[in-house]
Amino acid sequence: MVQHLIKSKFKVQSQLTKKLPMSANRAGKSLTKYKIVFLGEQGVGKTSLITRFMYDTFDDHYQATIGIDFLSKTMYLDDKTIRLQLWDTAGQERFRSLIPSYIRDSHVAIVVYDVTNKKSFEYIDKWVEDVKSERGEENVVLCIVGNKNDLSDERQVSTEEGERKAQVLNAKIFIETSTKVGFNVKNLFRKIAKTLPEFQKSDSVPLDDNATKNKPDVIDITTNEEQEQSSCQC
Amino acid sequence: MTKLSDVHDYGSSKTKSRNGGLSGYLASKSPSVPNLTQTFTTRSMKETSPERAGYQQFGSPLVEEPTNLSVIDLYGDEDDEDADDDEDADDDEAEGSQSTSGVIADLPVSSTESPSLEAPNAFGAAKDLSQYDRYGFKKQTAHVSQEEYHMWWDQYSRYCIRRKRKWQDLLEKSGLAPSNDVPDRFPPRSEKLKRYVRKGIPAEWRGQAWWYFARGQEKLNKNAGVYDKLLEGLNNKKDKNNCKDLEVIERDLHRTFPENIHFQKDPKEGQEPLMIQSLRRVLLAFSVYNPKIGYCQSMNFLAGLLLLFLDEEKSFWMLVIITSRYLPGVHNVNLEGVNVDQGVLMLCVKEYLPDFWQRIIPKEQSRSNEFLYKLPPITLCTASWFMSCFVGVVPIETTLRIWDCLFYEESHVLFKISLSIIKICEQELAGSRLAHRGLRARTHGRDDDDIEVFQVIQTVPKKLLDPQDIFDRIIFKRRVPLNNLNQEEIDRCRKYVTSQRLKFKNCAEIMGDRTSAKASAKRDLEIGPDFVNNALSSEVYGFRRSLTGAHWNNSIKEKVRQIRRK
Repeated sequence: MVQHLIKSKFKVQSQLTKKLPMSANRAGKSLTKYKIVFLGEQGVGKTSLITRFMYDTFDDHYQATIGIDFLSKTMYLDDKTIRLQLWDTAGQERFRSLIPSYIRDSHVAIVVYDVTNKKSFEYIDKWVEDVKSERGEENVVLCIVGNKNDLSDERQVSTEEGERKAQVLNAKIFIETSTKVGFNVKNLFRKIAKTLPEFQKSDSVPLDDNATKNKPDVIDITTNEEQEQSSCQC
Repeated sequence: MTKLSDVHDYGSSKTKSRNGGLSGYLASKSPSVPNLTQTFTTRSMKETSPERAGYQQFGSPLVEEPTNLSVIDLYGDEDDEDADDDEDADDDEAEGSQSTSGVIADLPVSSTESPSLEAPNAFGAAKDLSQYDRYGFKKQTAHVSQEEYHMWWDQYSRYCIRRKRKWQDLLEKSGLAPSNDVPDRFPPRSEKLKRYVRKGIPAEWRGQAWWYFARGQEKLNKNAGVYDKLLEGLNNKKDKNNCKDLEVIERDLHRTFPENIHFQKDPKEGQEPLMIQSLRRVLLAFSVYNPKIGYCQSMNFLAGLLLLFLDEEKSFWMLVIITSRYLPGVHNVNLEGVNVDQGVLMLCVKEYLPDFWQRIIPKEQSRSNEFLYKLPPITLCTASWFMSCFVGVVPIETTLRIWDCLFYEESHVLFKISLSIIKICEQELAGSRLAHRGLRARTHGRDDDDIEVFQVIQTVPKKLLDPQDIFDRIIFKRRVPLNNLNQEEIDRCRKYVTSQRLKFKNCAEIMGDRTSAKASAKRDLEIGPDFVNNALSSEVYGFRRSLTGAHWNNSIKEKVRQIRRK
C-alpha cells in the first residue's frame, strides 16, 4: 500500500510539472477550498473510501480512526483548480459530541453506511440531523453513500431503501460503492465535483472512464489525473 | 526458515495449550504475552549478522534454541565502549559521539538489507519477518521509510544495549539483580531512577516495570479473582446479550494494529489470532467492569499495546489504572475528560508556546476563557493523543518511551510530551513560513493557516521515529520553562478547567437551547466575550512559576533540598 502511495505521489508530481507549472500555481491566487466531512458509524468504510479515492488502494482492515484525520487533495479540470479538504472522523456514537464544530464550515457532508449492516443505515438519520443543525439545509451538499455493495450475500439494506431514504433526507447525491473492488468511488467524487460552482457548467466532466478515453483533450477528474499534494505548497 | 517458524510456533503452541476454539473464545484468559525475545532473536540475527542471515537462507536448521538467549545480545553486536557507571545527564551525549565512531566500522547494514536476503523464501504465503520490528510492528510506515528505519535502528539498538547495562548495574547496586533476567522489583523512587526511566526502560522489562511503577500488583491484590469472575459472567449467555458494547468492540478488534504480526491471522492456520482473542476478553470484561466507560474507541489501542507486554489479567488492570488514574473521565460516554484535558493543554500552550497560541486562536478571543468551553478545532486532533496515550500518534519506540514515563511520573507527562510535539511543529511552521514569506502574507488567509497547522500537527508526530528527538531535545533540557509543569500543576489546572467548563455550560443553557442552527448562531452572539468575561473575570488561571523565573537551576534546587534535609 505504501509503495502504491509513493508511486502515485510520484506520478502526480510529474504530471504537476508537466501540465501545471509550479510557478503558475504559486503565483496565482489561492485555490478555492472545499471542505468535505465524512460521517457515519464505526467501521462502515469512511477511511477506506478516502484511501481508495486518494491512493486507489484497499486494505481489509484499517486502523480505527480516533478523533479526526485530515487529508487534502487538489482537483483540476480545464483551467480551474480546486482544493478538497477531506476530514475523516471517528464513528463511535460518543464522538458525535466532538464533531459538530467540524461540520460547521463544511461544503459537502458524506454520510456513509454499510449495506450489510442495517443499524449503520438507521444511524445516518442522526448524522444528517447533526449536519442540518450545524449547517442548515441549503448550505451543504449532502451525500448518502452505501458502502460494501460487493458483499451481496450479506446485504441488509436494498438499493431502493437507500434511494428512498436519500430522497426523504433531501440528499443531493445517493450512490452505492465498494471500496474493496473500487466500484463507484471515482463516480462519487465526480458527482460531488459537479455540484461545486467551478465545475457546474462544465460539460467536460466525464460520466465514465470510456468516455474520457475517447476524448483526449478533456482533462478527466479521475484519480490518475488529479494532483495530490501531501503538504501545503500553494 | 528458523525465523519464520519461531513466530508460528509461538502461535500454534499456544493454540494447542488452550481449549475451545472460537465458540469458547471467552472461556479463559490467556496466560502469556507474546514472546518478544523470539522476535528479538529473529530480528537481531537478521540485522547484525549477515553471515548468519545468509546461512539461514540456504535452509540450514540453524539455531533451534534461540528462545533462551540472553536478550542483551539480541539487540545487535556487543560493544564494550563504555564502562562508566556514574550517571550524569550529559553522559549520553558523550556516549553518542563515542558510538558514532565505533559504529561505522562494523556496519554491515546495507549488505544485510539487500532484497535477495529479505525476500520471502519457501514459505510463499508466510510473512517476510524482516519487515517487522521487535514488537511485530511494520518498520515501514507512510511516514518512515525502511531505510530511515534501519539507519536509526542501527544507532538506537546500541543505545538500548548501553542503557540496559546501566539498568543492570543499578539493580545490582540496589540488591535487586534478577535471577532470571527479568526483574520484578525496582529501586525506590529517586531522581536517578527517574532519569533512567526517561532514557527508556529495557524493552523486555517494560511489562514488569510498568506494572511495578503503576502499582498494578496493589490493584490486583485488592481485586483478586475479579477478572476471572468477569470472564465467567461473559460466558454466561444472558450476560453476554446484556453487554451492549459487544458489537462495537467486535468491530474494532481487527482494526487494532492490523499491521502488527501478532494481531494478524496466521496464514497457515487461518485461525483467529490469540492476541485478538485476548483483546476481546479484556475489552469486554472492562466494559462490564466499568459501565460508565463501557468501551470507547482508542481503548482497543491501549489494551492492544498492553497485551504485547503483559499477560491478560495484568493488561486488564493496567487498563483500569490508565483510564481512572492517568486519564480520568477521558473515555467516559460524554468524553468530558477529553475536553477538560484539551482545555488544560490549551492553557499550557497559551502559557508556554505563545507564538503557536496566536496561530490557533484569533486575537479577540484570546483574552477571555471561552476557549475552554469552545475548544479550538485543533483539539480534536490532539484529543486522540490523550485518548490513546500516543499509540499510533508517534512511532512505536517513541510511544513506549512515553509510556515508561507515564507510569513513573503520571499524567503530566502527556502534557509535557504534547507541548514538546507542538513545539517541534511550531519550528516546522516557522520554517515553512519563512520560505514562503511575502507570498503568504498576500495570498493566505486565516483558513490556509488553519489547514497548514492541522497538517503539520498531524504529520510531524508520525515522523518522530527517534524518541531522543523529543526527550533529548526538549524534555531533558534543564532550562526549559516546561520543567515547572509538574503533576501538581496539572491536577490544579484540571480542576480549574472542569469548573470553568461547568460555568460556561450553565451560561449557555441559560442563554437558550441549541436545537437549530439559527438558535445556535444567536446564542453565539449573545454570549459574547464581554458577557463571559464579566461573568468569569475574577477567575484567571495562574501558572506557578519558580522563584527565579524560567532559569531556576536544578543544582540549586538540589542544594536547597539538601539543606532542608539537614
